[in-house]
Amino acid sequence: MTNSIEIQGLCKSYGDFALRDVSLTLPGGAILGLIGENGAGKTTTIKCILNLIRRDGGSITLLGQDNLRQERTVKEDVGVVLDECFFHDSLRAKDISTILSPVYRDWDDGLFRDYLDKFKLPGNKFIKEFSRGMKMKLSLAAALAHRPRLLILDEATAGLDPVVRDEILDEFLGFIGDEEHSILLSSHIITDLEKVADYITYLHQGQVVLSGSKDAILDSYGKVGCTAAQLEQIAPGDLLRVRKGPFGCEGLTADREAFRRSYPGLTVDPASLEDIMLLIGKGEPV
Amino acid sequence: MIGLVWKDILVMRKTLRAYALFLAFYFILGVMGAFDISMVTAMLQVILLMLPISAFSYDELAKWNRYAMTFPLGRRAVVGARYLFCLLTALFASACGLLICVFTSLMGRSQLEENLAAVLVSLGVGLFIVDIMLPLCYKLGPERARPYLYVVVFFPIIALFLASKLGFHMDLSFLDRMSATSALGVFALVPLIALAGTWLSWLVSCRIMADKEF
Repeated sequence: MTNSIEIQGLCKSYGDFALRDVSLTLPGGAILGLIGENGAGKTTTIKCILNLIRRDGGSITLLGQDNLRQERTVKEDVGVVLDECFFHDSLRAKDISTILSPVYRDWDDGLFRDYLDKFKLPGNKFIKEFSRGMKMKLSLAAALAHRPRLLILDEATAGLDPVVRDEILDEFLGFIGDEEHSILLSSHIITDLEKVADYITYLHQGQVVLSGSKDAILDSYGKVGCTAAQLEQIAPGDLLRVRKGPFGCEGLTADREAFRRSYPGLTVDPASLEDIMLLIGKGEPV
Repeated sequence: MIGLVWKDILVMRKTLRAYALFLAFYFILGVMGAFDISMVTAMLQVILLMLPISAFSYDELAKWNRYAMTFPLGRRAVVGARYLFCLLTALFASACGLLICVFTSLMGRSQLEENLAAVLVSLGVGLFIVDIMLPLCYKLGPERARPYLYVVVFFPIIALFLASKLGFHMDLSFLDRMSATSALGVFALVPLIALAGTWLSWLVSCRIMADKEF
């Protein structure tokens, strides 16, 4: 099966910030969660994928096609929901179909209306009267109504209440029910990604610091709790990062079973994605 | 491209409706003889050519261009759609002006040829404004480009006024010696030249958009 996204050695520099040698792969039929702190490069990566900004180096393939040379062809199969709703306040929800049906070859007006019904979005209401949740659902309906094979979502669930988020996540799971479909989902809300993502790529200061299957990451990474004195006893290569606090130390290990065998006296708990982010983002190298 | 033209029309439907009422009001005043009907046709162009700048402002407010760049259209088509909207606007304004001219001529209130010439020149002026303003809007954004609109509109008027004060007079007497049809042919050159400028202007705008990041 063709990979939905393949990025090799992506570089983009803004002077004070640079995306350096970013590589990631999203296999078909899967959801890839792109995580990282604010300013880590998630949105810059997505903008490069969509050719909203010029990259300095690297290559990007979407659904087996080059994202620059075959930009127009490949974008027919890509649905996009970015961090805000771009529809003008003076438009009505039903107007979106009038605007986008000539834009997309496979726009399905019936499907769009089905989504409006499903998301309980009144077609005749002006968008300025919509809540943020409704606006994001409208953006999602617009992204899905041309039957894309790849969905790219940048912080699409940010600022939404848990009920709406859950509704949208269910839609994502329904979307990848078809093995030809896949989703790139950038989010700060780690719990959402733990729920739906198959793969995780963690960007930190413009570089990929962790990338792989979510289950493999959660099965192998561990969080070590110890005192400063115990930390002194741990060999430098056995912990990736440590955080020292007034009440003890925390360390991150990439192989918790091996760590347990080496240090049976220390407590090692499974590390959540949030633990991994905090320890890599705020911890120090050992 | 058609979808994006629809977007501009739908976003500005309230404004369009307001302008339609405004025009109807002026039309009535023109027919009643409150002022010269060619004045109405010229105003028609100015009013309607404010619309594209408003369209830029609405787009900027909604950050629409960032979203439009995710469409399978390409940047040239996005720019092309705005030009198409402007052309349609200018043509619609001219068609309205034409109707008014024919109507008032039939009523015997004005001379048809003279008014047709006014429509052609105002169409040319409208397109000329588009030619200058659209690249400026793409380059500077609508708010920073807006002051240039006044420069584009008023600079030729001030220049002509100063030229006449300084004793430079354009000899247009050759128009009097021509037949009405031939004179109209000369006036038709104004929008045609402006239309050629529109093509150049579109190329400049495409170039500006090609360099932009969203």
